[in-house]
Amino acid sequence: MLRSTATTWGVVTRLFHWGMLLLFAGILSVGYYMTDLPLGPQKLKVYALHKSVGLTLLALAALRLLWRLGERRPLPAPMPAWQAWAASAAHVALYALMFLVPLTGWLFNSAAGFPLQWFHLFNLPALHASDPALKSIAKELHETGAMLLIVLGLAHGAAALKHHFLDRDGTLASMLPVVGGRR
Amino acid sequence: MNRHWPRAFGVLVLAAATGTAGAAPTYTVVPAQSSLSFIGTQQGEKFTGVIRDFDARIAFGTADLAGSRLEVAMRLKSIDSKSPDRDQAIATTDWFDVAKYPVATFRTLAIRATPTGAVGDAELTIKGHTQRLAFPFAWKAAADGGATLDARVTLDRLDFGLGTGEWADESMVGRKVEVVVHLTLAPAAPPPAAPGKPPVAKPAHP
Ligand code: HEM
Ligand code: HEM
Repeated sequence: MLRSTATTWGVVTRLFHWGMLLLFAGILSVGYYMTDLPLGPQKLKVYALHKSVGLTLLALAALRLLWRLGERRPLPAPMPAWQAWAASAAHVALYALMFLVPLTGWLFNSAAGFPLQWFHLFNLPALHASDPALKSIAKELHETGAMLLIVLGLAHGAAALKHHFLDRDGTLASMLPVVGGRR
Repeated sequence: MNRHWPRAFGVLVLAAATGTAGAAPTYTVVPAQSSLSFIGTQQGEKFTGVIRDFDARIAFGTADLAGSRLEVAMRLKSIDSKSPDRDQAIATTDWFDVAKYPVATFRTLAIRATPTGAVGDAELTIKGHTQRLAFPFAWKAAADGGATLDARVTLDRLDFGLGTGEWADESMVGRKVEVVVHLTLAPAAPPPAAPGKPPVAKPAHP
């Protein structure tokens, strides 16, 4: 049950999927909320939380990808070829963004000369020396990446719901946290 | 008689300027080879802030500690901590309040010799807060008549009202700040009243 089968995603994949989805929802909300805070220790604390959760997501993305590479994918429900292709492309892009968004955040943080600490426990090195030009590029990439993640995540989620309610196939069930699979 | 006037006048002026004849020699800072910086801690990470714009008036000689003094004026707008965001934050009222207190000053009230080297009894004024501190420093005479001065002192930022209130929380910004001074000094040019020969008042012993 830990591993995926021909009809359903394994428990590990489901945990990754929904656990990370929760964390993404949290970090995105924090991300948009924090930039308007007045400068003060409170703001730095919220930033620190954003960065700690972001680094956690980066590590989880790596573990998730490693796990996925050793997994089989359940056979997709019957659907037009372009939809199957779009779904796969979206999954690849979502994987890419799961790395690119936190990495550009880290790069931005480095170029801004900010410290980087994981939950008050240890510090991580800067990816690049302090650099105002790189800082604005990395910021742009980080913000655009986060936006793409939202758009793509929503489209992908909407597609999953379409499978469930319109096509009435087992695609969503194969990924739901409660163990279940395609009929 | 008349011919000797200018020389004698020069000696008088020098004696008046430094207090005693044969007083501690004065020096000027060589900016390119000098630095005034502080090492702070933010979120578990050390950072260095460099104060780029400062003046120093230095007179020092072990033979005349009473006439020796170190005086530094630092223009805090010039702090560079390798992060424009942090530099901006540093200038706000919670920290240095640079608009209201643009200059920090340091001066020795006395300098004494100790077995481990010279120690200044000094006064440091930042943001309107004046604190006394011991300022031990290493003085090395250079072959060209100049010298280097090196010192490290640790301060508590709260003594100077830096980051009080909410910022006092040490998990964000540490309280201890280490100040690192490295000055390369050139001998001050002799006063213009005595061109050519330096106006040495003491007679040279054979
Ligand atoms: C993994 C997922 C991450 C997501 C989804 C994410 C998302 C976001 C979002 C939505 C914003 C607000 C952008 C805006 O103002 O338009 C933001 C800002 C920021 N993020 Fe992230 N972030 C992530 C990871 C990280 C990491 C790992 C770091 C640092 C190591 C980081 C550092 C920052 C910083 C410093 C800002 C503030 C930008 C500013 O001051 O304008 N982020 N992030
Ligand atoms: C509204 C929210 C979401 C729903 C309902 C949802 C649903 C699903 C479903 C049903 C699958 C299985 C597809 C299949 O069997 O072919 C899936 C796969 C996937 N989802 Fe989501 N998802 C949502 C949000 C997200 C978000 C925000 C991300 C990324 C950050 C994401 C990343 C992925 C990835 C990468 C896969 C492919 C799994 C793999 O190949 O390892 N999902 N999702």
